[in-house]
This record gives sequence, C-alpha cells and structure tokens, in this order.
Amino acid sequence: MNSDVKTIFSSYHNNAQLFDEVFDSNGVAKNVYQKLLDLYGNHSIQEYVQLNNKAKASFFNQGITFQVYDNKVTQEKIFPFDLFPRIIDEDEWEIIEKGAIQRSKALNLFLWDIYHDKKIIKDGIVPLDLITSSANYLHQMIGVDPPGGIYNHISGTDIIKHSDGNYYVLEDNIRCPSGVSYVICNRTALKRALFGVFNHYKTHSVTNYAENLLEILESVKPKGVDVPNCVVLTPGMYNSAFYEHSYLAKAMGVELVEGRDLFVENDFVYMKTIRGPIKVDVIYRRVDDLFMDPLEFKPESALGVPGLFAAYRKGNVCLANAPGTGVADDKAIYTYMPQIIKYYLDETPILNNVHTYHCSRPDELKYVLEHIHELVIKPVDEAGGYGISIGNRLTKDEIKVVQEEIKQNPRKYIAQPIMSLSVHPTYIDDSESFEQRHVDLRTFTLLGHEKEFVLKGGLSRVALKRGNLIVNSSQGGGSKDTWVLKK
Amino acid sequence: MHQEPHEMSFEYSITYKAENEYENPVENASWQFLIVPENNDTQELMRVDIKNSLGAKNEFSENGYGFRTVRINTLEKFQKLNFSATFKLKKKSFNPFGQVPIFDIASNYELVQSLYFKVDFEPFLGQTKFTTLPQASINLFVFDPALSIFDNLQKLNTWVYQFIKFNTGVTHVNTLLKEILENPEGVCQDFAHLFCALARANKIPARYVSGYLHQGNGYFGDSQMHAWAETYVPQVGWVGFDPTNNLLVDDNHIKVAHGKDFNDCSPLKGVVYSHGANKTSHSVEVQAQQ
Repeated sequence: MNSDVKTIFSSYHNNAQLFDEVFDSNGVAKNVYQKLLDLYGNHSIQEYVQLNNKAKASFFNQGITFQVYDNKVTQEKIFPFDLFPRIIDEDEWEIIEKGAIQRSKALNLFLWDIYHDKKIIKDGIVPLDLITSSANYLHQMIGVDPPGGIYNHISGTDIIKHSDGNYYVLEDNIRCPSGVSYVICNRTALKRALFGVFNHYKTHSVTNYAENLLEILESVKPKGVDVPNCVVLTPGMYNSAFYEHSYLAKAMGVELVEGRDLFVENDFVYMKTIRGPIKVDVIYRRVDDLFMDPLEFKPESALGVPGLFAAYRKGNVCLANAPGTGVADDKAIYTYMPQIIKYYLDETPILNNVHTYHCSRPDELKYVLEHIHELVIKPVDEAGGYGISIGNRLTKDEIKVVQEEIKQNPRKYIAQPIMSLSVHPTYIDDSESFEQRHVDLRTFTLLGHEKEFVLKGGLSRVALKRGNLIVNSSQGGGSKDTWVLKK
Repeated sequence: MHQEPHEMSFEYSITYKAENEYENPVENASWQFLIVPENNDTQELMRVDIKNSLGAKNEFSENGYGFRTVRINTLEKFQKLNFSATFKLKKKSFNPFGQVPIFDIASNYELVQSLYFKVDFEPFLGQTKFTTLPQASINLFVFDPALSIFDNLQKLNTWVYQFIKFNTGVTHVNTLLKEILENPEGVCQDFAHLFCALARANKIPARYVSGYLHQGNGYFGDSQMHAWAETYVPQVGWVGFDPTNNLLVDDNHIKVAHGKDFNDCSPLKGVVYSHGANKTSHSVEVQAQQ
C-alpha cells in the first residue's frame, strides 16, 4: 500500500469507549474483517466517494425511495446506503436465527392463547390490563382460528449488539414490518459497485426471501384450496413502503392489488381482472387492521375491502399477518417475553431482552427513582419514541421532574438501562471519511404451517448523526449490506 | 333464560324498511344490515324476505361477532335505495321472573372479583367509546352488597329509567355518556349505554343489545329498532334489562345482536363512493299473532 495516498481508513478514529464491531480496542481488525479491509484499503477515499455516488444514483434510478412528509411537501428520498458491509459470522448468526425463531413461535402461541383460552392471563403471568388496554387487541378475533394456526407469518425483530458482546432484542415488530426490500437492494447495489469483494467471502444469498415468503403464504392456504392464489394488498403508491410492496409482489410473481381491486361475494374474495373475477385465497396485506374492512372497522377507510373480515372469519381467505397480531408487539408485552417463552416453549430465551424495571412494582420503583441518571424511562402506552427520557442526558432539575412524574403514575412507566449499541465504520459525507456510528439489525422471520425461515442477512441500520442511538430512517438513519457467512 | 313447560308461543311479523337518498349519483356502494333476528332459546326465525330497489343481490354473511348480516353491493349508478326486510318469527312466551333462584350473595360477589371471571367476561367489562363514564360519575350507582346482584341490577334498571327522560331528537348515534349525564334526555341507545356503563362499573358484565320491541302496551321504542342490555348474573346466566321501559326483557323483545356498545350493533353500515348530502330513514313495524 502506498502510504502517500489517503486510504479510506487512514483517519479512522477508534474510540475505545465504544464497542467497535470491526476493530478491537487496540485498533486491530477482527479476523473476519481482515480480508475486507485489505480489499477496501486498495482504494483511495476519492475512488470510494465516486463509487458511493454511483451507488446512490442507482437507488434513485431504480426508484428505491421512500417518502418523507415534511412542511406539507412530500419528498422522495433514498435510504442512505453505506458501501462498507457488516459481517456476521456463522456462530453468532446461529444464535440470532435460533433466537428469532424461538421468539416468533412463542409470540404465535401467545397470540393463539390470547384469542382463545387466555391461559397465560388466568395463570397470573401476564396481566389482563395489558391486553385489554392495547389498541391492537381485536375482540373480533376471539375464537377465530387463523388458517394454519399462524398469526405472525412475518416478524421483524430488532436486535442490537451490546458493548458486552451479546445480542439483545429491542423490539418485535409483528404488524407489517417493512425493510426487507432494502436488504435485497443493498446487496444488489454493493454487488454492482464492488463485485470483487464477494469472491473472497462465502456469503449467504438474500434474494431467496421472496420465494420463501411465497411458500409460507401458500402453506397457510384456506381449507379445500389446492393451489392458492396469493396477492399483496397495498394501501397504494402514496404509502412510504410502496416500493417494497411492489418489489415483493413482482419477486413472488403474484398480483399487487389495492382495496378497490378486490371485492367480496358470498364471503369469498375476488380480484377484478379484464378476464373477469379471480378468487383470492391468501392476502399478504400491508394495510393496517383497522383500515382493512370499512364494514367491520373504520368506516371511513378507503383502503379496505368491504366484507373482507367476514370472509376471513369464515376461513375462506387467509390474511398475513392475522388481524389483531399487534397486541403482542406492544412495549409492555415485550417486557414479558422471557416469561412468554418459558410458558409456551419451556425454554430459556436464546436472545436477551433488555432488562426492564416496572415502576408499578414498589421495589423496582425505588431502584428506578434512585438511578434515573443511568436509565431510559419509557411510558408503556406511547409509541414512536414519545415521552422517553434518557437519564444521562438530563439535568438535575429535569431528573427531579421525571421522578415526580413517575411517583404520580408509576403504572405508566418502565425503565431500562441505557444500552450501548455497537458501532460500525461508516462513511460520512461531511468529513469525507469513515467514522464510528451506532448500528442495529432488523431480522426477518417467516412462520408458516410446518415451515419456518429466517432471512440470512438483515437490515443493519446506522445512526448517521454522531452519538445518536436512534437508527430509524425517519430520524436520518442509513443502512448497510449485512453478510451472514456460510460455514 | 329457562322455559316453563306448556307455555304458549307467538308468531311475530317484523318489517324493517330503510330508504337512502343521495344528492349526487353514487358510483359504487356496499351496505351491511344487522337487522336479522337471531335464533336463540326463546325465538326461532321462520322466514326471511328481503328486497332492494336496485336489483342487487342480498347476501347473507356474519359480522365480526358472528351475528347474521345482509350485505348489498351495488352494480350500477344510482341515487336512491329502498330496502325492506320481513321476518316471521316464533317467540316463546316466558316470565323473566320464573326461574330466579335463591342467590348465594357472598359467593356471587366473590366470583365476579375472581381473575378467571374477569378474563372470561373481559369484552363486556371494559369501557368503550360509548360506555365511558366521566371520572366524577363512576360512583353514580353503587351496588348494595347486602342485596343480590340481580336485585341490584333491577334497582339500576329503575334508576336509569328515572334518570334519563325519554325524548327523541335530543341525542344522535354519536352521543357520549358525558353529554347524557349533563343533560339527561335521550332514546333507548342512551339508556342502554348508561345501564351497561354502570353495571360494568360494579364489575358486572353487561352487553348492549339491538333488536325489535313489540309495542302493544305503549312502550317506548316502537317505530325504530330498540336497544336494551344483557348482564351476566351468576347462577342464572345472561339476563336482559330494558331500562328505557323499566322492564325485564320478556317475550315482547326480539333480539338481533349484541356487542360492547352501539358500535358493534349498528343496524346499517355503508360504504358509499359519492359526495354531497344524503338522507336516510328507517322504519320498523312489529305485529303479533297469538
């Protein structure tokens, strides 16, 4: 290597306080990354910038964008993509994969129970209030048997690697988890930009997601159907994930439909086509529960299909994920995951939960009040990051305010230790160099009738602002291609 | 409700009519009627005749709680829909007081406090949009622990009957209890919501019931669909109370459906792709032949 040329990692600042996935505290690259660093090290930063710009352009050209609603102006943006991939070796991946399947299965059994006998509540393990107070709990699902016995066909589990080197689950997304199309696009973009690097690693493919999704959907076909007709139901082109809906439909080779393309007759669902109606058996729906059927749920919904829920209750069509599944991806339910796994599977959790203190329990409340500076305080009933206090960012006065709020209404709050996410070298436009940035991982798990699948890869989301722990795309996060290595 | 032997049965003829008129032509619409009497221990549906002026198919289906619905999807542009349904129904005559047992008061109150009971009856114990009492009104009617649940419910029935003044045109389908408590006037829907809310505040499962009432005796609620409540009474089961008329539900009440509140029982739901004003009117006629 010519030492006069500024190579891409020459000014990388390795903060030993942070858990860097690539370099150890002495700045030595971990084994699995060594080859990659050699390969990337051959490039100057200028060459890298050019490649990076090309990759960006290819996202725009393919229309892989999402909508940002800001100042009443809708903007098309690409999800910032980083060309330096994240590598997960086979041993670590095995833990993640087994852990993700364990959680999906436990959640599925939990959902069956909640909508049937509610044994876990009667046995005093999960409080009744937690279920009945959830906006995603649907009384209409009580006693309904979803085809194949599956509720959460598609789960997106958000995982972080902590500074202790272990993986922790942050949340289970089992309503309409999105992001899988980015996983596939990131791989494509990286292959286009730097095909050669793939020759040196045995990386699992991610393009088999769609065929597995189709198999999962077909496995939960309604009774009496031989070859099921599956479709993807989208809210339409103005939805922020429309690209993903169209991608998945195309990759599975099935129709992409909107509510107005479907109708219900005698409790069967049909798709309007120029050759007349065609019966639909399985719907991968990316429309929220309450917008699915204006006759059963929100009457003002223009996205749904009148009579769809009646067809579902009759068992004539399968909806993936099942209506009412969201009751199990509640923040408060998350805290019971270890007990839920134990209760239904009689196993210990393979992936850790972040330890949670319930302020409703007096001894835990005492601990929380005394340790606010090292905890994250979250209200149990709000979503989207509202009302969260991060203890080490608060002034003394602010801590007092939070203490008072918790004392006033302990039932409303939970607290968790501040988790230190691992960091990964990420190219930063402003400084034209690689810097450490926090990263998480969304995995995609599929559950069908006697079939399960975890995508070997995932969406590694990067917080592009320095020190930021929030990686959501709406918060200006980016993403990386994520390689899972073969044995 | 248990039946006494050798009792009589009536035959009812019920006609439900709806007329929807739109200012502008409607391209496309779906309606769902929840108006078909259910079959249960005391009533048996003998015949159903349904007509609509658009020549569209009348499809039978079920709502999210398993009650029968009639659904219509229009085929072509229209501005007016006439819908009529006639039901012939056999109703067994019964005395609602006939099978009231001797209550084990203490153990009944213990039962309704148990976790199993709360879990099993959870849908009918919670608050909904239409059965939420303002915080200040939660103790508006507190059960007397010396009396049986049944006796308390009867007192509650009378209390609601006396509290609200029957008056049409004051409230509408979206009226909340908060408004009723401020100005206690309303129709059967409001009586039923307040009754359910107060029964639930006392830990007794209560469900909102929609149906038809056979007048004859000058009861309120004749020319429209009627609403009342059913509560779960330990040792007996679900017992119907009609707070609008200060009555226990008897053989003049013909049940269509129940739910947590009106939202689950709305007789007509529609999705209409049109703009501009519309007018809807319903009428109900109930005739008995002994």
